[in-house]
Amino acid sequence: MSAATASRRGSAARAERFGRAVRLWVTAGPGLAWIVAFLVLPSAILLGIGFFTSGSYGGPELPLTLQPLREVAGYSILGWSSGNITVLARSLIQAMSAGVLTVLFAYPVVFFIVTRPPAARPLLLLFIVLPSWTNQVVRTYAWMELLGPESALSHLVQSLGLLQPHLGLFPGVLAMQIGLTYNYLPYMVVPLYAAAEKLDWALVEAGRDLYASGPRLFWNTVFPQTLPGLLSGIILVVIPAFGDYVVPTLLGGGKSMMIGSLIASQFLETPNWPYGAALTIFMLVFTCAGLLAFRALSKRLGGAEESMM
Amino acid sequence: MAGPLVSAAMKAQHAASGPEVAERRGQIVLEDISRVFAADAIAVDRVNLVIHPGEFFTLLGPSGCGKTTLLRMIAGFETPDSGRILVSGREMQAVPAHHRPVNTVFQSYALFPHLSVAENVGFGLRMRRIARAERRTRTRRIMELLQIDAFAGRNPAQLSGGQRQRVALARALVNEPEVVLLDEPLSALDAKLRAELQVELMRMQKRLGMTFIFVTHDQHEALVMSDRIGVMQRGRLLQVGPVLDVYERPSSVFVAEFLGLSNIWPVTPLPGGLIETPLGRLAIGAPDPARGTAMIRPEKIWMYGEGGAPAGRANLLGGIVREAIYMGASTQYRVELENGAPLLVYDTNNQAAERSWRPGEAVTCELKPENIVLIGA
Amino acid sequence: MMGISLGKSTRRSLLAMSLPVYVLLYAPLLLIAIFSFAPPPLARGQTFYWYADLLHSPEVIAAFRRSLTLAIGSSVLGTALGTLMGFGLYRYRDRRARGFASALPSLIIYTPIIMPSLVFGISELIFFSFIHGATGLLGAGLLTMGIAHVTFEAPFVALVVFARLSGLDPNMFEASHDLYADARQSFLHLTVPVIRPAIIGGFLLAFTLSIDDFTISFFTAGPGSTTLPIYIYSAVARKGVSPDINALATLMIATVIGTGLLQYAFTRNRTRKLVARPGD
Repeated sequence: MSAATASRRGSAARAERFGRAVRLWVTAGPGLAWIVAFLVLPSAILLGIGFFTSGSYGGPELPLTLQPLREVAGYSILGWSSGNITVLARSLIQAMSAGVLTVLFAYPVVFFIVTRPPAARPLLLLFIVLPSWTNQVVRTYAWMELLGPESALSHLVQSLGLLQPHLGLFPGVLAMQIGLTYNYLPYMVVPLYAAAEKLDWALVEAGRDLYASGPRLFWNTVFPQTLPGLLSGIILVVIPAFGDYVVPTLLGGGKSMMIGSLIASQFLETPNWPYGAALTIFMLVFTCAGLLAFRALSKRLGGAEESMM
Repeated sequence: MAGPLVSAAMKAQHAASGPEVAERRGQIVLEDISRVFAADAIAVDRVNLVIHPGEFFTLLGPSGCGKTTLLRMIAGFETPDSGRILVSGREMQAVPAHHRPVNTVFQSYALFPHLSVAENVGFGLRMRRIARAERRTRTRRIMELLQIDAFAGRNPAQLSGGQRQRVALARALVNEPEVVLLDEPLSALDAKLRAELQVELMRMQKRLGMTFIFVTHDQHEALVMSDRIGVMQRGRLLQVGPVLDVYERPSSVFVAEFLGLSNIWPVTPLPGGLIETPLGRLAIGAPDPARGTAMIRPEKIWMYGEGGAPAGRANLLGGIVREAIYMGASTQYRVELENGAPLLVYDTNNQAAERSWRPGEAVTCELKPENIVLIGA
Repeated sequence: MMGISLGKSTRRSLLAMSLPVYVLLYAPLLLIAIFSFAPPPLARGQTFYWYADLLHSPEVIAAFRRSLTLAIGSSVLGTALGTLMGFGLYRYRDRRARGFASALPSLIIYTPIIMPSLVFGISELIFFSFIHGATGLLGAGLLTMGIAHVTFEAPFVALVVFARLSGLDPNMFEASHDLYADARQSFLHLTVPVIRPAIIGGFLLAFTLSIDDFTISFFTAGPGSTTLPIYIYSAVARKGVSPDINALATLMIATVIGTGLLQYAFTRNRTRKLVARPGD
């Protein structure tokens, strides 16, 4: 092969690749540019603000400083306080218990659905998902009605002596927990259902001879097969619940803040943007760490990676 | 809309070029075609090939040998990195896929799911803005020819594999292209349907007189259907020729083995038209053999029972049948020769009672000199 | 699915454990519906008292109009951008390519989906206030809300369209060019019709997402752009649970559930028609 042909080799492939890239940017470009302009850039600005000094009106001012991040850890001019740690711990506990509760509710429902005739399954699943299509404020508001001081439920708890008279189940930590579990239950059911529908029942049959008791049969044959769905469900529930804003604001009240409501108050009430931004950085780091940990876990467990693009 | 205008202009130019061009209608010329995906992935490597008008030409090779890439470059879906493609004497370099006078039948059929069978078939005519009445006549005619007119109103999803295949074929043929490209169109069908459609495709091609370029990895299919075959391996075109030539006189061990079972040995030439092989010394037809490899197809070996061998013939080798596999029309024998070398022999079962051997029987094999093929170094 | 041979008792206990979940999902929604039909003591017998009250509130009517404008407007643009993104990524992305540059479009598309809505909303709040401060443009209002809604709708539409295209024969597009269609004809006569269900589905999804969103709307809204969820939120923050809000919430719930069931019925009939094979 001569040098001239050698240099021509691959040139058409390169030209084709270039043509495709141009077409890609002509079609997908506007949408991608939109997202970059109106989300990637704004969120980068928000995170950047976390390194500025808080000005007189709470806005970001020079010089650059790490003060907001130290404030997140609890250090202020007044010394160290445990306030933020408490909020963080509360958010974590709330999010994780919402995860556990949704799992406990979702398993029986999912197996109830997959053991119905195929024609009935989509409708039964739809009835789980439907409430989540209503606005999150409406959904959360519904529980204010149900848990308020004058509600039948609160009266019942009051008469049992578990709650002081004239106090409702809301606002408070319990109401928040109920709200989060209620709001995020469908996000656990759907991926779990997807996994359960593909379940290999022959394995369960085979396990019947090996494992005497029902729970052991479930644990050894069914559970491993639904694990990928369970992990996706946990990601879909725990991570958004951790940073939820509506539920702690409406059902939590002033005394039981979560990190979402704490961040929002830095922008809406006592303006302190750098502090709010630093809290956001902290929350995102936490979220990403959780996400990566779960991804690593599901990869190790051999869960098929869902990548649509 | 430049499309139809440009086509029309091209057709006009085509017509004006006179009889010389008209003779090349349906001819494909590939000159030094290469296609490189990456530095270490050469899909097509300097292919030179002329396909004659009206010919049924098959590109045969294992998967990944570059045959489909070659077809896609003729169709215009991919661009060669070097070389020229001429269809009916016209350079295709600057002609996009939708202006080329070729139509493709895809391996996956690629039928349009949102259109009915008739709409699928008429798609190309519609894109070329052919008048509705003519469109309808031509669509109906080709559907009748391929016996799919009964499903005209159905959705492709409601058809069987064989019916889909016919629709895909009709969709290409209705445009009366100069060249039809077929990319393993029968590979998704079961054996019986496949055999039926092979015959039908051949008839269709002869009847319409179009050039067919057929891609397959199935050597049997290639042998049955083609006028000529081009065998490809790792991007290279190893051998081109009429079916009989390629099968009986393969130019390389790869071609010999890819087209069917064979007995192949390394040989040393001796003076006097003889070669030294692991079987022993054999006489061959060619007068002056070069050092290399020799081959004989199993069906070209005559086998005789004890005492049945004609006297005075060359290349008579005694042995014992070690294995006999009955295959209906023929039986495949594995014979162990006297010096221990194995030999594969096919025998037709036209007189099964008299001419079948059981393992352990002694036989004599005759390797006629003219049937021994020298493959070269 | 074959061979599910759960015991009767297991089946029964599954039902016993699932039924309460279904009840709990609908109980709060049902409860506000019931309360919404309870008239105040002075207006005994007027079941639809609070609904009539809503209809006479210009604030609610205006909020309803704004919600609808926002949802329809943003869904149209979001569907257009999302469809092009899904199509472009499917058709022109170099599948052989590896590395950051080729993964970048997907990363960008997934950003709005994985970004917590609070961070999303606050980012927009700050961004728009900076823009407004510097240029006087994009003051908080329906426009800024719309921009934010398009941002989270488009990726979901792109995913729906991409998923639909992935289920099709990739040779189809080449087949259209092979049959004399140029890029424009191929897009009009092949791409658009085959992804039409995905475009409609994507639009409905975008619309639902827009109607469902509160957090992002809340942070991008201005004084004159109170939509229904924001109206409810501020009413609840001001005076807690109240019967007229019950009525409004009931209407919203009924609309969503009604739409959901209709959509289900519609898609089910369509799939049945497509799956049925009169030939065999």
